[in-house]
Amino acid sequence: MGYEPLVQQNPLRVLNMGTEKNQMGLVMARAGLGKTALLVQIALDAILRGKRVIHVSIGQSIEKTKTWYDDILQLILQDHSVNRPHELIDMVARHRMIMTFKIAAFSRSRLEERLNDLVLQDIFRPNCLIVDGFDFEKTDREALEDIKNLIENMDMQAWFSATCHRGDPRISPTGVPAPCHEIDDLFDMIILLKPEQDATIQLDIIRNCGEQVTGAKGLRLDPTTMMVKEM
Amino acid sequence: MKKDLGKVRNIGISAHIDSGKTTLTERILFYTQRIHAIHEVRGKDGVGATMDSMELEKERGITIQSAATYCSWKDYDINIIDTPGHVDFTIEVERALRVLDGAVLILCSVGGVQSQSITVNRQMTRYKVPRIAFINKCDRTGANPFRVTQQLRDKLDLNAIMIQLPIGLESDLEGMIDLVCMKAVYFDGDQGETIRYEPIPAGLQEEADAKREELLDAVSMFSDELMEAMLEESEIPESLIHDAIRRGTLSLELTPVMIGSAYKNKGVQLLLDAVNAYLPCPTDVENTALDLDQDESEVVVSNDPADPLVALAFKLEDGRYGQLTYIRTYQGVIQKGDTIINSRTGKKAKVGRLVRMHANEMEEIDGAGSGDIVALFGIDCASGDTFCNPGLNWSMSSMHVPAPVISLAIKPVDNKAQINMSKALNRFTKEDPTFKTFVDHETNETIISGMGELHLEVYIERMKREYKAEVEVGAPQVAYRETITQRAEFDYTHKKQTGGSGQYGRVAGFIEPLEEGEYEFVDQIVGGVIPREFISSCDKGFQKSLEKGTLTGSPITGVRLGINDGSYHAVDSSDIAFQLAAIGGFKQGYAKAIPIIMEPIMKVAVEGPSEFQGAVMGSLNQRRGVIIGTFEEGNYTVVEAEMPLAEMFGYSTTLRSLTQGKAEFTMEFATYKQVPKSVAEELIKAFAAQKKDA
Repeated sequence: MGYEPLVQQNPLRVLNMGTEKNQMGLVMARAGLGKTALLVQIALDAILRGKRVIHVSIGQSIEKTKTWYDDILQLILQDHSVNRPHELIDMVARHRMIMTFKIAAFSRSRLEERLNDLVLQDIFRPNCLIVDGFDFEKTDREALEDIKNLIENMDMQAWFSATCHRGDPRISPTGVPAPCHEIDDLFDMIILLKPEQDATIQLDIIRNCGEQVTGAKGLRLDPTTMMVKEM
Repeated sequence: MKKDLGKVRNIGISAHIDSGKTTLTERILFYTQRIHAIHEVRGKDGVGATMDSMELEKERGITIQSAATYCSWKDYDINIIDTPGHVDFTIEVERALRVLDGAVLILCSVGGVQSQSITVNRQMTRYKVPRIAFINKCDRTGANPFRVTQQLRDKLDLNAIMIQLPIGLESDLEGMIDLVCMKAVYFDGDQGETIRYEPIPAGLQEEADAKREELLDAVSMFSDELMEAMLEESEIPESLIHDAIRRGTLSLELTPVMIGSAYKNKGVQLLLDAVNAYLPCPTDVENTALDLDQDESEVVVSNDPADPLVALAFKLEDGRYGQLTYIRTYQGVIQKGDTIINSRTGKKAKVGRLVRMHANEMEEIDGAGSGDIVALFGIDCASGDTFCNPGLNWSMSSMHVPAPVISLAIKPVDNKAQINMSKALNRFTKEDPTFKTFVDHETNETIISGMGELHLEVYIERMKREYKAEVEVGAPQVAYRETITQRAEFDYTHKKQTGGSGQYGRVAGFIEPLEEGEYEFVDQIVGGVIPREFISSCDKGFQKSLEKGTLTGSPITGVRLGINDGSYHAVDSSDIAFQLAAIGGFKQGYAKAIPIIMEPIMKVAVEGPSEFQGAVMGSLNQRRGVIIGTFEEGNYTVVEAEMPLAEMFGYSTTLRSLTQGKAEFTMEFATYKQVPKSVAEELIKAFAAQKKDA
């Protein structure tokens, strides 16, 4: 594809995460730390490797979601000169589809119906599903297992975001904070974002490919781009 | 000429086709004693409703152009601006929305929130227009204002709250309960002109109490006083509630919902009361102009009559006495005999006759203050122009006009039609900057171009009806463009020195892609290898070459042309020789610079029930579209896509049959993009064939 160098500073690339199929990943952070930005990075990483991504945005507009991609792509283009930037932007648009739902309208059956619409008519065959704004507070284990099941059936990789709260002390034995502390075993990869003193973001991996990660292996990210700050 | 601006309302009335907009306007004019008899739409009595002034609108029963009309209700001055609701008339809609401060959104109590209500609502949100909802046709079978109110919340995302309750529904509609003053209201007399207040019927008391509680809960957050009064559980003065509703409405966080039936003369007067009470006056709204002397930087207009005049011409009309120009003043005053300057052309004009309009009748006035809407006679201008007093150079709208994306050839059927057609075209181009016309010198055809299929269709209809210009219409053509993808050099000698006065010129230079802008000329000639007087000849030659590209004959844009070498002949070099040399040089360079064809891409939004989402996406996908995303809410879905305009002809028919007529789409120009190779090849082939035939 020739776009590989653009994402060398992408955290996933650095960590060598997110290349396996049929896996579920989770990005957790408090509000405003850059969950969406990181999810968009994950999506762009997949797209630049030639994969197709469905970005499900719950409670947000198409316009706003699209702007996330445009902005981050612009930042990447500022740092790396590309021969024909329009072709890259076009290619991203063709490999991405945004689905937005009003909070109440999102459910597994709805999602499955939509995905089937796309696949059966051969409009779009997604390899990766991004779900931003999923309400974990109001979801039980069964509903999430249901979605996991769907993702496995469709042979996709999926990434979710979840918001945790400063005042909520609940935490799983493996270090996953609420609201995901009781369902953390469903995820193969879990990333936690924390703000640091020097205005960067600390990225901690709690779990990778189903294996527990301990110790202080983490990365520092630039808060505007969510790219790795120093290599 | 002192006027209390607080008692001026400039409002729009907008709605889905057929929810009774024209009937409602007609009733408003009747109750405000602007007209003395009520005519029904579609002219049962041969007269037709007063607001739809164009023949075409009368026939179709729809309203295309925004006419302004004036009336007064309880010593408030109300200017009603009729607003078109279709996205194909973008400029028209935009202008109408600019001049109004508030709006009444009419909904049909049976049909509820329809796709066009959604479009209109979105436009109003974009322009921050405070609005009142009026659920009309409560007398019809199947009327359910409660369901419609819920739709306003669900589909339009408005904080809709009913301030009235119906007394009876469908054919039993008797009147309504005003939840603010807690009284039943009935409308007596042949035309409902007498309002009778009564205590609330016993059977409805309980429901009314509950709904009032809901209303108070919803509006109390906009008024601390009201909140206090509620906490103290004391008697709540009506004025407090009115005040809270007004604040909520102005902040766009609340939409009061009213009900009635214009046709059955119920509820219209109360709606007028609400317009006075809840909708903003000119000073409640902040309007901005662009200072043309300061590089179009934004400035806020003051609304102060003492400041210099700033007024926007938002509509033109051809009357018996010449051109009538509707204007809205934003600051200062306009008076007979004043000198005003059109900030687009810089031309001065003197204000002659000044009138206040009521659809087709007019009233002479001497002057108008800030915030008012009046009409001028005998001023030459285009729609969208701004007038200022001398010394000020502001414009209410940007000078940037989008380039047309679609064109078609028209041919008058006879000589008479020819004359009328040119009259009509002259008028339309003045009214609408996005509508353009020119004569193609090669085919001698008159070409009209605009922003969409429907846009052009409406003008062709108007030509027929208003100007009696019968024309034959060609197939619509997409406005392709050509550009280059890489830099190339050229070196061309134009030489014709055989007998008579000779021609000689040699031009060398480069052609390269230009990121922004259409054309740039760079002069890098040193040492006078091309004499100064012939440099502009080269520029001219290049510009001529840009008019028609070699691939499809479309204009070429986005190129920078430079000259850096050349030679001349003391006798044989001339202006024309260097122009021809430049044209030759351009052709040489253009071929090497890998030219491509660009096509207009439209942003398309298809709205409809979710069950058809798959079919809709399939149809867009087939037409070379890129689906950007989908939005789902309840059972209703919007699919957004970027579509090549060339693939969108006839899409409305396809969509209708795919979705049993339940989905609609809107389309606006987004950008130009390269045409895919296979399509480009076909275009080039077609152009070559056409050239051969000619």
